[in-house]
Amino acid sequence: MNARARGSTEATATNGNAASVDDLVRRAQHGEVAAFESLYRTHAQAIYALCWRMTGDEAEARELLQDVFVRAWERLTTFRGQSSLATWLHRLGTNVVLERMRVGKREALRMIDAESAEPETPGTDRDADTRMDLDRALKSLPGGARTVFVLHDIEGYSHDEIAAMTGIAPGTARAQLWRARRALVRLLDL
Amino acid sequence: MSSLKAHLSEEDRHRIADGTMDEERRAVIDAHLASCWNCKSDVAHLTKAVPSLRHVSEPTAPLDDLWTEIHERIEQGKIVSLGKEPPEATPAAAPQKKKFSWLWLAPIGVAAGVVIALFALPGKRGAEDRQASSMVADTGATLVSVVDSSYAYEREAQVLLDKLELQRALLRPEAAQALDRDLHVVDVAIAELKDAVARDPANPALRQLLAASYRQKVDLLKRASNAS
Repeated sequence: MNARARGSTEATATNGNAASVDDLVRRAQHGEVAAFESLYRTHAQAIYALCWRMTGDEAEARELLQDVFVRAWERLTTFRGQSSLATWLHRLGTNVVLERMRVGKREALRMIDAESAEPETPGTDRDADTRMDLDRALKSLPGGARTVFVLHDIEGYSHDEIAAMTGIAPGTARAQLWRARRALVRLLDL
Repeated sequence: MSSLKAHLSEEDRHRIADGTMDEERRAVIDAHLASCWNCKSDVAHLTKAVPSLRHVSEPTAPLDDLWTEIHERIEQGKIVSLGKEPPEATPAAAPQKKKFSWLWLAPIGVAAGVVIALFALPGKRGAEDRQASSMVADTGATLVSVVDSSYAYEREAQVLLDKLELQRALLRPEAAQALDRDLHVVDVAIAELKDAVARDPANPALRQLLAASYRQKVDLLKRASNAS
């Protein structure tokens, strides 16, 4: 189950708390910072995970997490409850990360079109006893492949959605996904 | 049904692995897999591995400390910056406080006029910018920031208004009327708050209300633009 689907399920599973979540959202929409703080504490880890996976950098992920929640506060009045708050925050978080990548001309998006991009080899670290976990393996992928893999296989976006969000062609997104999967399978020795 | 002469493409392999292969194509692929050990082996490997790549653990990190900074940024965003606040009066300087605040009133009046002139004549904004800058510079950093902050909001609102003007034909007549009514209410509130801020620039509550009104206008325009 991808992260967006998880967000929807969380909203359903916590039906008993739905009223209180709705109440928190409504209060935050009316400017109550304490209510927004509760929402932050509920969703911060998931959004941090998204930022961390997309950037592969802990410090940057923490900065982005702040940006996401400041942006969420500014735009909360546009949240109409058509999706779960988790889904809305994931989408917002994805946009904030991609925006940062575009503005900073980070390696991630530059390399999306780089056909020659190959994952960093773990080198001497890679022996039979050290099987990298997925998060570490993700970190070693080229930025473009990592971004597409996270958006498609973990966050559950379609290739067309990824193309629209990142500005690359759907075919390029597919190629990056296949490259990322192959690299991860190899790195994780699956 | 055509048969495959070459090995499977990378796309075919991944579509089988992630279950997105359509039925018709799948029949062709199955026929090929029945006779090609190489492709069959690779597809089996990918089909087993790809789902496991989706099972990521949630990285955990202590994030509570970040709330303080987020909170600060939120609070800053609520306030229309007016530059440096008038200096706090020390006990020794207390008698001078009242005199100081009176001195603020004259430049505030001038600056309020500048702000109104700037917004009333957007077509001549470049020239007005220069004029405003020179005039406001005389009245202190506080009022420069009023103009800057107001500009930022007004610019965003103007972009949205221009966009909305093009889309107005798509709005139902009653929706367009309701929008105009709401915009008028917000504009009146903004005008009144600008006057109030000009009279009492050190009042944070007024600045918060002014910023909130600007945001309300921008949100209203965004919603209308999205709806049309």
